[in-house]
Formats: sequence, structure tokens, C-alpha cells
Amino acid sequence: MSQNKGTSPRYLRFTLAQRIEHLVMLLSFATLGLTGLPQKFPLASASKLVISLLGGIETVRFIHHTAALVMMLGTIYHILGAGYKIFVLRLPMTMLPTFKDVKDAFQAFFYNLGLNKRFPQMGRYTFEEKMEYWAFVWGAIVMGITGFMMWNPITTTRFLPGEFIPAAKAAHGGEALLAILAIIIWHMYGVHIKRFNKAMWTGYLSEEEMLHEHPLELADLKAGVAKPSVEPKTLRRRQAIYFPIAAILAIVMLAGVYFFVFGETTALAIAPQAETAPIYAPRTPTPQPTATAAPTSSLPQVWEGAIGMLFPQRCGLCHGANSFTGLSLDTYTNVLAGGKNGVVVVPGKSAESPLVILQAQGGHGGQLTLEELAMVEAWIDAGAPEK
Amino acid sequence: MKRLQVVSFGIGVVFILSAAFFLVGRTQPVEAASPTQTTDNQACLVCHSVAGMSKTLPNGDTLDLTIDEAAHSESVHAEAGVKCTDCHETITSFPHPKFEAESRRDATLAMYSLCQKCHAEQYHQSQDSVHFTALAAGNLSAAVCTDCHAAHTQKRITDPQTGQPFAEQRILTAETCGRCHGAIYEEFRASIHGAALYEENNPDVPTCTTCHGVHSLQGPDDVAFVLKSPTEMCGRCHTDAAMMGKYGISTNVLNSYVADFHGTTALLFEATSPDQDFNKPLCFDCHGVHSILSVDDSQHGLKIRENILVTCQKCHPDANANFSEAWLSHYDPSPEHYPVVYYVNLFYKIFIPLVLGGMSLFVLSDILNRLVIRRKRTVIHESK
Repeated sequence: MSQNKGTSPRYLRFTLAQRIEHLVMLLSFATLGLTGLPQKFPLASASKLVISLLGGIETVRFIHHTAALVMMLGTIYHILGAGYKIFVLRLPMTMLPTFKDVKDAFQAFFYNLGLNKRFPQMGRYTFEEKMEYWAFVWGAIVMGITGFMMWNPITTTRFLPGEFIPAAKAAHGGEALLAILAIIIWHMYGVHIKRFNKAMWTGYLSEEEMLHEHPLELADLKAGVAKPSVEPKTLRRRQAIYFPIAAILAIVMLAGVYFFVFGETTALAIAPQAETAPIYAPRTPTPQPTATAAPTSSLPQVWEGAIGMLFPQRCGLCHGANSFTGLSLDTYTNVLAGGKNGVVVVPGKSAESPLVILQAQGGHGGQLTLEELAMVEAWIDAGAPEK
Repeated sequence: MKRLQVVSFGIGVVFILSAAFFLVGRTQPVEAASPTQTTDNQACLVCHSVAGMSKTLPNGDTLDLTIDEAAHSESVHAEAGVKCTDCHETITSFPHPKFEAESRRDATLAMYSLCQKCHAEQYHQSQDSVHFTALAAGNLSAAVCTDCHAAHTQKRITDPQTGQPFAEQRILTAETCGRCHGAIYEEFRASIHGAALYEENNPDVPTCTTCHGVHSLQGPDDVAFVLKSPTEMCGRCHTDAAMMGKYGISTNVLNSYVADFHGTTALLFEATSPDQDFNKPLCFDCHGVHSILSVDDSQHGLKIRENILVTCQKCHPDANANFSEAWLSHYDPSPEHYPVVYYVNLFYKIFIPLVLGGMSLFVLSDILNRLVIRRKRTVIHESK
């Protein structure tokens, strides 16, 4: 068999367009799975790794949405293509499930267990392939509807209770898990592990492969009944009907996709400030020390209540009680007594009083203002009265 | 004979000197420790304890120069024997060197960095705080060390026995922050946390520093700080079963938040890109930042559906009443609460194993066939 492989007939299974369609769906499905699973299991460290590698959750969602858009467009293309094959070419609907598929499945299962001697004879699409196709159709419907609800929650809740949004999320995640695992178990095993079926890449199956997997289709092909030919005139007439309908359908579906993707700005791009109260609002101003108002010249020029308040306040820092400077100006007696270097106040003679002389020079540690000094001078000249 | 006198004189001198050194060496350091300090501080207090001593600064501010001797003597610095001149380094004699400060604030800002002489760790932590960021940006009102800690009268904050702050410190902290953050302070006092703090000094409720941190404290401009709020701020207490049990509060709040779209996103942001701008709600976006109230509050409680809708509309202006039900209010879906979600989950819990089980069964039968039965058939075939 292998020697005359080159000359043995090959049978076209998938056209180039179908193979490209498969590739587009394969890529978008894989992308959706890769970016969707980390969202379903966000706590897993693998999820965090994938999200970090892809540039953060917002980027992951953008990629997920883009892949969803690609898959939606692929689906529209598939619907219109299927319509053309059904209504214009009038090809037999070989993908429709039949009762025979159920029988085939059980027969194959029993054959595998050794309970049945013959493997079922199948046509263009085996029960395994049909199951996968219709599972994909079911999945696309569920994912499309639930995806729309999550993508457009405000629009959805105009018609449905709010609870449907988290329910859609639950269904989207559950269905996704089912689809990914089904691909791994069913598809991977069926066309990669059991036997590597290259038809989706090369487009062709050998006669041996056809005989093995699609014996009924091979028989039909050999008998020339697999593809009914259409008269060119009839074909044009059907096209004339189908193309406008398909165009309208395409516009409606594309508009639907546009609404799906861009219809709703769900949330503000920037969250509003959470705390609206002013950050800096001094509650009570920090209490400031309030200096006792210095007596002014309008007050009586006596010690008590006037000079007796001025001296401790202006001079008390150094010349307080028992001052280390040797001069205390805290009491009337101490002022008149003077310091270790003699008297500082000569009653009646301000010009001769050392206190006035020193203050008049300026630059003293506790310098009196001119007004205060004038007050002290007036007091001394008045005889430095105590009361 | 003369020689003997010289020698004995020399021995005498050596003896006396050694005795003197012995006495000096023994006594002086012991005496030097505290009395000198006291003397030093007292030398300052001779003048600086006089009431009403002040200085008018060029901008008109009055700089208080009086030390409240009684309050100072109770301070942690007095207890530790810190000398006035330890901080007022330049003042070593009288008259003092000229004090150059335009305003009271300038005087404070000129002094605070001295704290790091003893409190280096706290000082460096504070350098990373929101206050120092603001100060560096030119906001001179931003708090420095001595705005929170009284320079001359600060009492001990932490109990040296336990290393934990004293019980009364929790309210004192709120009062301290409230001096500048008055509006937020009022919100906090009226909140369920603030009320419990002020009314019963409840040790379970947070005070300001519980969430914001102490010296390296952060504010809302720090996205990383904000992002970790569900897990590290609110979640730390609200997932503590022992603590929440006392008040009958659910500990499922964090899990149910994380199970939701918003919480998932928050968690992933925190894990993968903690510095990026984030627009999903965190705990405080619905419950309030400082004005957190009980969900049972008769006016603003989130058990009232309209109040949830109001919080939804902060970010989803077009949201209607139905929309607010998309948030499951921290419930795990059950036949009583959110049955649609519950039954969808249940459906997939049954549907997934059913479908995959059927598929696996068929695949296994195929593997079995290839490995065992077909070989047996071949053997039978060949033997025939």
C-alpha cells in the first residue's frame, strides 16, 4: 500500500476556506481559554503568572474580548456559508444528527469492549465529529449569550433581574470549563492521539483512511452521488435570492456584534474619589500662647499693676527671683535694692539710673521698646512709687 | 638621710595622688550621670519655666518659650533623662545665639529632624510617609514628628512591658490626627468604628493608625496602599472568626467579595500590578471610607436596596434598580439567596462530570480496545 501511495487517490475532505476557518476558530478558542481560565480561577498561582506575563488583568480582558470578537465574526461567516450550501448548492445536510449516530456510538462502544464484532460503517461525518460540532454550536450559543450579559450588564438588567448577571458569569465559567476539557478529552484524543488526522491541515484523506473512517461517504463518492450538481441557471436563480437575504442577515448580525462590543460603557473609566471630605481641615486651631498685654504709658506710673508686670515679663527670663545674674527685678524691694553691682534705679533721677542708661544704649538681651522705656523713665522720675 | 626624705615624700605624693584618683574615679561618674543633667535642665528652667515667656517672630507669630515644668517632668523624655541641650544643641551658654525663624512653622521645621538622633528608625519610616511626600512637594502644613508628638511634654505611648500602645492611646491617636484632619475625624467619630472607640474604648475597632500605619503612613494617593485594603485592612479583622463572632458579623465577606467580578479584579491587581490605576470598587467604595456604618443602619445601611443602587451609580451612572441585584450582597448563592445563580452552578456541577464522564468512558474503551482486545483478536486471527 505504502509503495503506491503516490498514485493512490486522495479525497478532498476540507477546502482551503474551511481549513482557514478552522484555524481562526482554533486560535480564538485557545486565546479565549488561555485568558478565560485565569479569570475563572483567579486565586491559583498559575493564573497570576499568566496574567502577569500578559501584562495585567485589564490587558487579559482586552485580549479575551478581542478573541471573542474574532470568534463571533467566524460564527457569522460560518452561518452564512452553511446557508449557501443548504439553500443554494442544496448539499445534503450531512452534519445533522440522526438516529443512526446514536446506534453508531453504542456499536462503536461495544466493539471497543469486544462485545461487538463489527465497527460501525459511517458516512461523511462520524458520530464523534457530529458530537463535537454540535457541542461547539451549543457552547457558542451559551458563551455568546452569557458573554453579552456580562459585557453589557446595564442593557441586560433593563430586561432581566440583576441576579442573571452573576448567573451568566457562573454559566460562562462552567461552560468554558466543559468546552476546554471536552476539547482535551474528545478532540485531542480523537484526532491527535488515537491517530494523527492531518486532513484539517492538508485538506485530504487517503483512500485507506477514507475506507477506514468514512466508508459510506467513500462508497457514495465512488457511486457519484455524494454531491448533487446544480444547473448553472438554477444556481444563478438561487443565488439571486440568497445573496440579498444573506447580505441583510450579515448586516443585522454585524450590527448585533457591534452593539455587543461597543454598545455599552458600563462603568466610568476612573473611579470617583472615595473620600469626599477635605483632607486638611484643622479642627481647632493649635492654641497659641497669648502674651499678657504690656502695660502702656496711659496706665498710672506705679509699680503695682504696671511696672511690676512689665519687668517680670520683659526681664524675668534672666532677672527673675534669685537670679543667677545677681540682679532680680521680680519684686519692688529687689528692684530698689539693686544687684551685686549696685543700685539700678535711682528714684527721681531716671537719667542717672543704670537700668535706664543700659536700656537707652540698646542691644540688651531683654530690650524694652522705646514706649516701655519712656514708661519706666516716667515712673523713676515720679520717684518710683510702689502704689 | 636627705635621700630617704625625698623617697618617702615621693611615696607620700604617689599615695595621696592614687587615693585621689581612686576617689575621683569611683565617685565622679556616679555623680555625673543624673545630677549634672538635672542641673543642666534646671539651669534652663530657671528662666524657661516663667509663665508667659514668649518671642515675637518676624511674621508676627508668637513663639512660646515657656516650658510647663509639671508636664515636662511627666514626659517620657524627662523619664529617660534627656537634656534640653540634647535637642537644643546650639544653646550652650547665655546669652543664647540668635534664633532665626521667620514663623512658628519655620521654627518647628528647623527642629524636627533632630528627632532622628535617637529615633532613627521611626524618622526614616516617616520619610516614606504621605506627610513627607507632601512636605517635599512644598506643603509646609504637612505633619512632622513634633506635630503629632509633643516635643516637651510627650508621655510614653507604648507600654514597655508589652511593647503595645497603652489602651488610652487609641483615642489619643484619633485626637492627634483629628487636629489637622478635622472633617475626616468627625466622619470617623460618627462611624460604627469611631463610636465604639469613643464610647467603650473597644479594643477591636480600628483607630486611624490601624489602617494607615504609624510612621510610614499612607493615604489614598498610594494605589498600592489602597489596593491592599480588602485583604490587609478590612479583611484582617473581618475574616477573624474569634473577633467577628463577638459581634455576630459574617467572616465570609472577603471570600464573597473576591468571588465577585470587582473583588477578583482587585485581587489580581494587587497580585500582578499593584501600582496601576484601578477603577473597581474596594470595600470602602460601598461601605464608606471613614464614615462606615452598620449595614442595618436605618437610614444609610446597605441592607436598604436603594442605598446599594446609589453606590452602584457612583461608577455606573446608568444603572437601574435591577442592576444593583447583580451584586450578591456577600451571600453565597443558595436556594434561598440568589437561587438562579445557585441552580446554574448546580447544573454545571452535574452537567460537566456527566458529559466528560461519558466522553472519558468512550475514550477509555477505545484505549482498551487498542491495547488489549485488538491484540487478542490478532492473536486469535493468527492462530486460526
